[in-house]
Amino acid sequence: MPEGLTRLRRSRVPAVAIALLCAALATAGCGVGAGDGVGEVSLTVTRDFGAERLAAPEAEAVAESDTVMRVLDRNLPIETSYGGAFVDSIDGLRGDRRDGRPYDWFFYVNGLWSPVGAADYPLRGGDSIWWDYRDWSASTRVSALVGAWPQPFADGYEGGRHPTAVECRGDGAACATVRSRLDDAGATLARPGAKGAIRVLVGPWARLRDDPAAAALEDGPEASGIYADFVREDGAYRLHGLDEAGEPVRQLGLAAGLVAATRRNDAPPVWIVSGSSAAGIRAAADLLGADRLRDRFAVAVDAAEEIPLPIPGGAGG
Amino acid sequence: MRSPFAYVSRPRPLQSASPGAAVAYLGALVVVAFLYSSPLVLAAAGIAAALAGHLAGADRAVRAALRMGLSLALLIVVVNALVVNRGETVLLRLGELPLLGRVDVTAEALAAGAVIGLRAAVAMVGFAVYSACVDPDRVLRALRPLAGRSALTAALISRLVPVAAADAARLREAGSLRGPAAAPLGRAALVRRLTAGSLDRAVDVAATLELRGYSLAPPRPSHVAAFSPRGCGKSSNRRSRYDRRFYATGAALLVAAIVGKVLGADGFHAYPTVRLAIEPSTAALSALIVLSGFAPLRRGRRRVGDV
Repeated sequence: MPEGLTRLRRSRVPAVAIALLCAALATAGCGVGAGDGVGEVSLTVTRDFGAERLAAPEAEAVAESDTVMRVLDRNLPIETSYGGAFVDSIDGLRGDRRDGRPYDWFFYVNGLWSPVGAADYPLRGGDSIWWDYRDWSASTRVSALVGAWPQPFADGYEGGRHPTAVECRGDGAACATVRSRLDDAGATLARPGAKGAIRVLVGPWARLRDDPAAAALEDGPEASGIYADFVREDGAYRLHGLDEAGEPVRQLGLAAGLVAATRRNDAPPVWIVSGSSAAGIRAAADLLGADRLRDRFAVAVDAAEEIPLPIPGGAGG
Repeated sequence: MRSPFAYVSRPRPLQSASPGAAVAYLGALVVVAFLYSSPLVLAAAGIAAALAGHLAGADRAVRAALRMGLSLALLIVVVNALVVNRGETVLLRLGELPLLGRVDVTAEALAAGAVIGLRAAVAMVGFAVYSACVDPDRVLRALRPLAGRSALTAALISRLVPVAAADAARLREAGSLRGPAAAPLGRAALVRRLTAGSLDRAVDVAATLELRGYSLAPPRPSHVAAFSPRGCGKSSNRRSRYDRRFYATGAALLVAAIVGKVLGADGFHAYPTVRLAIEPSTAALSALIVLSGFAPLRRGRRRVGDV
């Protein structure tokens, strides 16, 4: 082969390599700047399990490279540590010990605790971000909450949409109400047992407690992330409200109902619509809606009184 | 050709000082670099280390360390930008890449990488000045009372770089003697060979030390004086008149760095957005650090009998 041709071929190798690299990067979705818009997300910042709002919910347009941390940083003054991975303080409120109890910032996207850090959580249009500053002495991990309604039913979670399966275990009227509310919220209803479906369990606690996900409620907030307990008394399960420290502070009546959410590891979230009696279950089903669930981790209802859970300022609080 | 990092004896204060004093001074500069993230303070520490090297006559070592340190800093900036997605200001989106996942190049990750790189460069300049200006034999003698049974450790500490530098010079010379038709000896090949043989060479030195009685009790001073030309064995362990200067400078640097840290002189945060606050304490500390670079300055003529 002539030497000139060899040299020409050699000189082309880097150019071809660079061109191939650029083509690969272009295919992978590379670009300059934050990228195109992907819609709007909402940001809520509260303290003490949603008891007090620190920043009104803001709708924020996000780009394809945006993360939970970037949205937070654009809206509120924050301080971080561990190379920007961990939020130390928001608007001057710093993770600390108060009255001997640990407080820190936790975030939820579409009502679910995130398995990855805020700096690594990519966003999609419609996502609902909620930062809460809370006492975590009773439960280090509240894996799911109800205050982001209609999420996760409307837009899914962790980057994908998921169907919703209502598992009715008694009281058809309450089940019908739940299905109707979910339908109105934009959920895609599926048959019970559908793969990857968000489960909504509806029925008296005596029938729900056989479900492994729901049964975690009886093991306390550390296991379930739910600050409530059903205790068998005089042949019936009665609902008890717990405070921030996980201590029972209020025994509710036989007509009390509960709406709560939990999640086991990477399994789809499980919502619980239950009560001690049919009246309680119906009252709980009636709670499903943005107005009555907003900023709540879980809600109990007793004689038309809505009780946020955990119950603020209990004996332990 | 001698490696730029090889020790050369010169009649300068830093070379004349005892190893402990030189290490205290140069070590303080490196400690400051590891304590602080403020680019101003890091730059001041780098300038001070380079200035100290210049005043000690180790310009080649400083230049070589700067070349290597800045190359390493550039590499750190690139790696940090690729592996850290944090930061508010996205400059470039590289999409999903194998092993790395989603890659967003942010201004904050670049700044954080630059600070880490600058820190590494300062440490390299400090170590280069140490290597070129502190006699490894004196370091070895100073280590003997502390690590009498650890010849290998002592040899690694004091001899690894000088031996590697000498080996590099020999290999380079051998490469150049292969004739004009031979392919030039690449730097990568040289580094590979040195790295592969560095531990063996250090073990060789350690074995030699053992054979020469490194672990035995030091001989009596009168005996050493009797068998040493002009009493060198005795005088090499004697304190230098420059020791106090270097100890004092090192201590002052450390105290000032700790006080400055408490007063908030380290006002740099890369995440979530780059924040650089230059307080009066930052400026004062930086000025003090730069001034400390003049510690090896020679004042007037040496008096007879001074070391």
